[in-house]
Amino acid sequence: MRFRAKILDVGCLNSFTRVVNTISKLTKTCTLRLTADNLYFMLSDKVANGGVSMWCELDQGNFFDEFQMEGVASDANEIYLELVPENLSRALRTAQNAKSLKAKLTKKHCPCLTLAAELPSLSSVSRVVTHDIPVDVIPRKLWHDFREPTVPDFDVSIYLPPLKTMKNVIDRMKNLSNFLVLEANRSGQMNLKIETDLVSVSTHFRDLGNPPCGDGGSQGASQDLETMAQARVDIKKLQQFLSSQQVNPSKAMCSKLIYPSIHLLPI
Amino acid sequence: MKCVIEGSNVKVFGKAIHALSRISDEMWLDPLEKGSVLPLFRCSASIERSVDSCKISTGLSDTQVTFQLFCKHGITKTYNLGFQEHDVLQAVFPAHLCPNVLKAQPSLLGDMVIHFPASQEEVTLSVCPKRVTMRNYCEERDQIKVMSTEMSLHPEEFDYFHVGVDSDITFCLKELRGLLSFAESHGLPVYVHFGHPGQPVRFSVENMVLEASVVLATQTDSESEVSVQPGGSEDPAAPSVCLSVERSQSWSPCMPPSVCTGGGVESRPQDAPPTAPPEEQVPSSQGSPVLSRPGNLEYFGLHVATDSGAHAAEPESADPATFRLHSLLFGAVSSPWPNEGDVLHTSLACASDTEEDNMEERSSATPMPIY
Repeated sequence: MRFRAKILDVGCLNSFTRVVNTISKLTKTCTLRLTADNLYFMLSDKVANGGVSMWCELDQGNFFDEFQMEGVASDANEIYLELVPENLSRALRTAQNAKSLKAKLTKKHCPCLTLAAELPSLSSVSRVVTHDIPVDVIPRKLWHDFREPTVPDFDVSIYLPPLKTMKNVIDRMKNLSNFLVLEANRSGQMNLKIETDLVSVSTHFRDLGNPPCGDGGSQGASQDLETMAQARVDIKKLQQFLSSQQVNPSKAMCSKLIYPSIHLLPI
Repeated sequence: MKCVIEGSNVKVFGKAIHALSRISDEMWLDPLEKGSVLPLFRCSASIERSVDSCKISTGLSDTQVTFQLFCKHGITKTYNLGFQEHDVLQAVFPAHLCPNVLKAQPSLLGDMVIHFPASQEEVTLSVCPKRVTMRNYCEERDQIKVMSTEMSLHPEEFDYFHVGVDSDITFCLKELRGLLSFAESHGLPVYVHFGHPGQPVRFSVENMVLEASVVLATQTDSESEVSVQPGGSEDPAAPSVCLSVERSQSWSPCMPPSVCTGGGVESRPQDAPPTAPPEEQVPSSQGSPVLSRPGNLEYFGLHVATDSGAHAAEPESADPATFRLHSLLFGAVSSPWPNEGDVLHTSLACASDTEEDNMEERSSATPMPIY
């Protein structure tokens, strides 16, 4: 089992760092899966209990100038590692002006993902910063736990308002209630509602736009444009997701509602 | 006691307090004082804008010291802080005996420490003629799941680099950060003096009006069992960092657990050996005999010393079960020509008229030894 990779472009390094920062804000530990062509950051949690599951797929060619891996076996050419994304985030944070960043799997006192950044220096010899991030190798028999979630049929798909606005609203709602009802229809209208014994608050968004109905939508004629699809979610988890988004802050996000869950897809 | 700090020096004093606060909860202000001074100087930027001068005095009460900040628009802020008398403790550090000396811009050292998280307690600095490396230090038992970080650079990057002996020293990072931020705010290069593991390391900065140094204990070689104990059993009220060493290990004689001045402080136990000739010592301005020295130096020493409780009682030299010594010294240099009308340098602290008698003797003291 071997892995070596290198990033030489500072823009790619910044993008990769932003992805890792997003992941580190969502969860304390996650699984990193390496294949010949991709990297995946995965988290599977109990979605039925209001938990969060995450699947992030990256094409390694978009970030790495060199990428070589040898999996656990020739018929299973993949590596699954459990790690703390905050460690990865911390290692990348101070390497943003690196001339190069090398990553490899090593064995120190335990298996580690070692990151080595070559930094500019005042002398002819570069400065080098090395981080050894402890990882756990996940044995093959547990790999089936980490399957890509299928996107189930959804009722409504809608573009979200600017995340900052939405986050402001949700931050204030969080003080009043633990749960929030998010409803949307195909006319680009979305409402965020909370209701307690003392007060009910709702915020209305208009003209958000709906993406063209492509894959998977249940588009029965009975679904008219005004009908609201609803989902009730834990406000804290929603807030956590919104605060973690760093990848494309200026782009809209797509949300698909299927009772009782919401799928949020950054695009 | 009555001292007055003028104008922009108040900001320097405030920054010094900030640096000290990263080392210890208590501060020894020479003249003696112990108390919580940091909140008075919390916001350096606004102090610079609004405070004209600062007066520090002890009044009729023996247990209170008064800080008065005279601000713009006729506002005066007065703070009364409790203090306790404390034994004089000083670091005796013969820097000229250190085999290794480095000089670096504070930004270089800052670039080294930035890779370590704020929670990192100790780091190991390794030097050899070809490379300087800093890595985080953690106990064996903690090592399994801790991320380890190492940063290395070439000796060329230092303004001055003299390594007489290859050495790996492990010391507390927090205290160094305090001095580094002070150095960076004044653009002062940092000198590092050290030797073998176990010998203390000194980080110091100086310019025409002040000198600051931090002397830190370092761990002895790895075959000894070394553990870091917060607080330490001898003195639970002491600040959080200390290094405890097995009794069989010996500390280098140049850093005894209780330090001494030439004439001694009354309450100092007799067993603690003097280790350096009087001219190497940095005398306190109170409690110690006045040494007659040529030159004109008005000395305002600001020491931070945490008590290493055990030590002085040990008859053999230097084997404390717990050893902590942190010392930050600020020396103020006044004009070398006090008799002339012009004062070329504003004193960091001026004594009041009533204490002129004491001050006169001190004004004929030697300049601080420059390493």
